[in-house]
Amino acid sequence: MSEPVLQIRNLRVDYPTRVGVVHGIDGVSLAVHRGEVLGLVGESGCGKSTMGMAILRLLRPPGEIVGGEIIFNGRNLLELSIEEMRRLRGANISMIFQDPMTCLNPLQRVSDHIVETIQTHGPESTQEARKRAAELIDKLGIRVERLDDYPHQLSGGMRQRVMIGLALALNADLIIADEPTTSLDVIVEAQFLDQLRDLQHQFNLTIILITHNIGVVAELADRVAVMYAGKLMELADVHLLFDDPLHPYTQGLLNSVPNISLTEDHLQIMGGDPPDLINPPPGCKFHPRCPRAIDRCQFEEPPFKEVRPGRWSACWLYE
Amino acid sequence: MAAQSIETTPITENIGLIARFFRGAKWYGTEWYITVSGGVILVLILLMTILAPRLAPYDPVKPVGSPFTAPGGGRQVLIVQTGEEAVREPSDLAGVLVGVRANSTGQFRVLELEAQVKKFYEIEECFQALTEGQVDALVVEEHLAPEFMPAYDDRLEQVGEPFGRTFVLGTDNLGRDILSRIIFGARAVLLVAVLSASFSALVGVPIGLLSGFVGGAVDRVLSLIMDSVYSFPGLILAIAMAAVLQLKMQQVLEQVMATIGTHLSGDQIAVMTGTMTTTAAIAVVYMPTFFRIVRGQVLAIKQQLYVEAARSLGARPTTILFRYVFPNVIASMVVIFSVNIADAILTEAGLSFIGLGLPPPTPDWGYDISKGRQFLPAGQWWLVTFPGLMIILVALGFSMFGEGLSEILNPRLTES
Repeated sequence: MSEPVLQIRNLRVDYPTRVGVVHGIDGVSLAVHRGEVLGLVGESGCGKSTMGMAILRLLRPPGEIVGGEIIFNGRNLLELSIEEMRRLRGANISMIFQDPMTCLNPLQRVSDHIVETIQTHGPESTQEARKRAAELIDKLGIRVERLDDYPHQLSGGMRQRVMIGLALALNADLIIADEPTTSLDVIVEAQFLDQLRDLQHQFNLTIILITHNIGVVAELADRVAVMYAGKLMELADVHLLFDDPLHPYTQGLLNSVPNISLTEDHLQIMGGDPPDLINPPPGCKFHPRCPRAIDRCQFEEPPFKEVRPGRWSACWLYE
Repeated sequence: MAAQSIETTPITENIGLIARFFRGAKWYGTEWYITVSGGVILVLILLMTILAPRLAPYDPVKPVGSPFTAPGGGRQVLIVQTGEEAVREPSDLAGVLVGVRANSTGQFRVLELEAQVKKFYEIEECFQALTEGQVDALVVEEHLAPEFMPAYDDRLEQVGEPFGRTFVLGTDNLGRDILSRIIFGARAVLLVAVLSASFSALVGVPIGLLSGFVGGAVDRVLSLIMDSVYSFPGLILAIAMAAVLQLKMQQVLEQVMATIGTHLSGDQIAVMTGTMTTTAAIAVVYMPTFFRIVRGQVLAIKQQLYVEAARSLGARPTTILFRYVFPNVIASMVVIFSVNIADAILTEAGLSFIGLGLPPPTPDWGYDISKGRQFLPAGQWWLVTFPGLMIILVALGFSMFGEGLSEILNPRLTES
């Protein structure tokens, strides 16, 4: 495998609240390699979006990074100044948001958005930037005449493509896509995924795909990381993970995906509720809901380690 | 990629500006009509202020007729002794001794006709004097003649038709022409209202932007200051501000005039001081409205995904402020601006009323309303009605123009 673009080591993010500190991300280590699509899945509130924002250092207060390292192309992002970090955003790491309806400034034309992004990071004249913007949206399958349209004149799918265009405008090394298909209907979603895959091949993009939609991950990702309660539970190649999930949480997650070929009885619902992140259960955070929990799970937290070649998991079952 | 062939020029129809203007009716629908109506009102009022000396029929600060002449009234009739041959029409009056009531419309008319005037205080005295031959003719109000003539039916006769100009909107308690006062008053009103609203916007909006955008301690302190200003009753604060500023303004103005070597009369100084004081006082009162609205909007817009998206693409904070936040605030700013102008006119009226605004003879709608109000119970409705209507019209013009414009300028709301 090629060298890692991004390496996260023992990242911890806290949200101090009135009732206690929420450990949004609790010691996550992860490497993203050049040219791969890493799917980051988990239920709502497990910290996957927080991961995305933490990498860009755009956490909303009171959220803050309290520990760990984020090494991007050999530099620790947590040690950069605010200005260095700003210059890195968009140029080296960019982000695609989940709601294309509201992620473009309603008072700026499509061209303004792209030109502005290009000019923020480069010396291009407005003419050059405009030309590049035109090329860009052409590649994304939007007619060039739409360049001077306002966002409200575009459909949801087109806006999402403009958003990708913005993320691609400066050939960023890493693209974080935070639930990019959540608000799209299935047809647009399929088109979008197709396009993203094409672009990924074409430009050898490195993407972190944050989603709760297992189908999207299966479609697009090379490797999948499963998150639960701010921790990584399992990390594996997408085929291995779907064929043979190791961690009981992953198994539960895959079983709870509705499938047309399953009868009603086969759709399994995972019991219990997501854990309270202020007072998380001792030991393995999943053990109160785990169908295969053993005594040890209640007292000791399993380490996240390579249990089989290329397969990482945090579970005592594979000791 | 065949990128070279891509044409980036926008496709727009090549039509003239005027054609575009009228096509706006189709593009924007109702909003266009509202905006254009508001614009027309404002342009007319602006023309009125510029052309005031040509439009106004009378001097706005001098008595030109009887007090409380009803709208449309003011014409005079000429009365002579029966059989009098020398005086048959108004133009014969030059050099003739004419009896009039003191400070009545008749007195001013007769003076214009270069007659000699003998003034009486009661209307009966006039008729008495004419019968006794003290005067050669009488000039009295049109509506008074039928009231008193019957008593002297055999000795006096009315000659010619009623003559003289009328007061379209009547006269006030001092016999000044209301129409002229309204036309000249537009100057003071527009100047003070527009200036004060602009000043409060000029201060309130940047502070609001800063406060909302920076947040934290800066926000707390600025909000506290602005809220403390806001907590005062508006008019009371304006009165206090005006009282404090008035003397200082006058000193400053005199110093400035002395420095640049211009000499102004006491009246001119008083008018300028009044304008500046009122403007400053009202500006302070309305600053918090701009601040609060803008700050609130900024706080809301800051949370929008497009701001976050811009940030994730490395936009500078200044770019976010001026290209993402500020343009989205303008729409509500325009609306507050137009509403504040209407408010400012009324506050200015209040200030003038207690003698802290423009000095009294200066024509000023607000002052005229305040003064005219006391005569309303007696049935003299025209003193308050017409300046009041003008205030409504100006406020309406600004509101329609402002709100319509904010709808049109907002690309989200336009159909394409």
